[in-house]
Amino acid sequence: MRSFRVLTGAVLITWLVLPLIPLAIWSFARGWFYPDLLPKTWTLRAWDYAMSDTAGVLDSLWLTIWISVAATVLSILVGVPAGRALGMYKFRGKEIVELMILAPTIVPGIAVVLGIHSVFISLGLNNTVSGVILVHLIPTLPYMVLVMSGIFANYDPAYEAQARSLGASPLKTFWYVTLPAIRPGIIVGGLFAFLVSWSQYILTLLIGGGRVETLPLLLFNFATAGRNDITGAIGMIYILPGILILLLTAKHLSGRSGAVGGFGQI
Amino acid sequence: MKQSLKMALMATSLVLAPVSGFADTADGEALNAMSWDEIVELARGGEVNWFLWGGSDNINQYVTEYIGGRLMDEYGVTLNRVGLSDTVEAVNIVLGEKESGVMDAGSVDMIWINGENFRTMKQGGLAYCGYTDVLPNNAFVDWDNPAIANDFGVPVEGCEVPWSKAQFAFAYDTARTEVPPKSIGELITWVEENPGRFTYPAPPDFNGSVFVRHVFYHAAGGVDSLLGDFDQAKYDEVAAKTWDILNAMEPHLWREGQTYPASISAMEQLFANSEVDLTFNYEPAGVGLNIENGVFPPTTQGYGLTDGTIGNTNYTIIPFNSPNKAAALVLQNLLLSGEAQYEKARPAVWGAAPAIEVARTSDAVQADFATIVAHPNVVPAAELAKAALPELQASWISAIEKGWLENVGQ
Repeated sequence: MRSFRVLTGAVLITWLVLPLIPLAIWSFARGWFYPDLLPKTWTLRAWDYAMSDTAGVLDSLWLTIWISVAATVLSILVGVPAGRALGMYKFRGKEIVELMILAPTIVPGIAVVLGIHSVFISLGLNNTVSGVILVHLIPTLPYMVLVMSGIFANYDPAYEAQARSLGASPLKTFWYVTLPAIRPGIIVGGLFAFLVSWSQYILTLLIGGGRVETLPLLLFNFATAGRNDITGAIGMIYILPGILILLLTAKHLSGRSGAVGGFGQI
Repeated sequence: MKQSLKMALMATSLVLAPVSGFADTADGEALNAMSWDEIVELARGGEVNWFLWGGSDNINQYVTEYIGGRLMDEYGVTLNRVGLSDTVEAVNIVLGEKESGVMDAGSVDMIWINGENFRTMKQGGLAYCGYTDVLPNNAFVDWDNPAIANDFGVPVEGCEVPWSKAQFAFAYDTARTEVPPKSIGELITWVEENPGRFTYPAPPDFNGSVFVRHVFYHAAGGVDSLLGDFDQAKYDEVAAKTWDILNAMEPHLWREGQTYPASISAMEQLFANSEVDLTFNYEPAGVGLNIENGVFPPTTQGYGLTDGTIGNTNYTIIPFNSPNKAAALVLQNLLLSGEAQYEKARPAVWGAAPAIEVARTSDAVQADFATIVAHPNVVPAAELAKAALPELQASWISAIEKGWLENVGQ
């Protein structure tokens, strides 16, 4: 059992880390041609550019963090009550509500983004950071709601009743009873929401009108142009927050966590 | 509650109305009637959002640092460069805004554009037109040159301003290939003799599409009979020959022609990694930049074809709903200046051929241009220009792209 876990860990690390190594090497290379095992010329030029004011990578980094954190917090605020309703109660039209919530994961974003754009224009939300945060909720909410409804499907509301009968206020009940029970779900769902928001491209481009320049926008400029060196440098910066959050929440992602156990039970 | 809100709104609009009426930089008609000094005054202190392909650090630095710096120092205008992966993204923003009724508060003030995207903008009424005479540096532009006055066969008619010229060129690695094929006819035999060593990006990729047009011109026995409006009978005749050539070529291509690179950058990677031996680009200066940036081996050499290569001009356009048209005009005028065109033409900066007539600029600028030494691995624009072919009208181009997908790409 133990050796199995070590093996799984090793495979996962190989899988996740190995593809990043060429990216890291490229960011310090000036030309790296087949069949050379390593670049012949090393340089900091790509990093110089990535850190320059012209590239605007650092400004983008803070902006992207702010947008993703805000989208995650909003997802939690909406996703927890929605997950509770879907996981704990039966009501008329539940299947339709579930389908509507899952729809953004099924329908390709490119198909609806022009329609969303015109709605956002009429609401005056285009070209604004708040508009971008709001539009990110479309792809992030399904993950949040799905995880939370899984959590609430295994959740026994009798604990809340006991706390209430012992004189706890609703707020206290939530804080001391409900929240600890659903916390793993919030962490896992929040992680999903953060990463989904973190990687949005087309929604950000159109709703942000190019004014809201998040990191994926900058990264795609160079990735599509075949500039592996600058793509590598921006890419290294781009994956940092994801890795950081993954490390912080890793223990909640293991098989024994309640957040994973209840998955798919809505 | 509702009443008071209405009152507040009315009061706000009353306060704002005189100001916006006085300095409306969104009103193109009014700007067209103004003097240049009035426009510069209107632009001062404003901003301009320029959407352009952002995949080259050299171009980004030229635009942000050189152009942005001069715009701020000389006119107090803030340049906001918005990088794109594909120009059509900016066109879609303008299109979406028009459909939603955003007529004077758009988010795009200027786009680097040509060809198909220009046709979309012009036909869709998305372009601000009729202002070119207002720009003092418009005097440097030779509008009598059909290659300037027509953007891929679509008459410009004052709806955009030229920025650079480009002409298609091939490149090969002198360390790998001794004698590259110097014409489309030679290329066809070369591909047969060197199986797996050539490919081209699948149209409608910009560069793949222009390669197919070179074969199309070759099949037609010259471009002369293809100029002018779309001719279905002529197209059918030449297209059949073209598809025969390309289908016969297919089994000798990279990966037996089972698949084509999706983009020019994918093909450039194949070339860099010695998977194919030839590459090409509509921007011949790209070879120099790619060598300097380590994308290509330093032994890469650009070259033209003896039977000629297709040339084009690229432009900057101002959308009809740009709220900062005065600042965009100031930016366009700056881009057309001899100094800015010279800076752009320097190989260390970009190496892009000027779209203005250098002979019309000041003596100092002409002297500067005379000092330019082309990148040794880039085929000089003057040499390419000796055998230049015109672009077809956009209707031809889309028919050829569609035909390729149906007859070769399948």
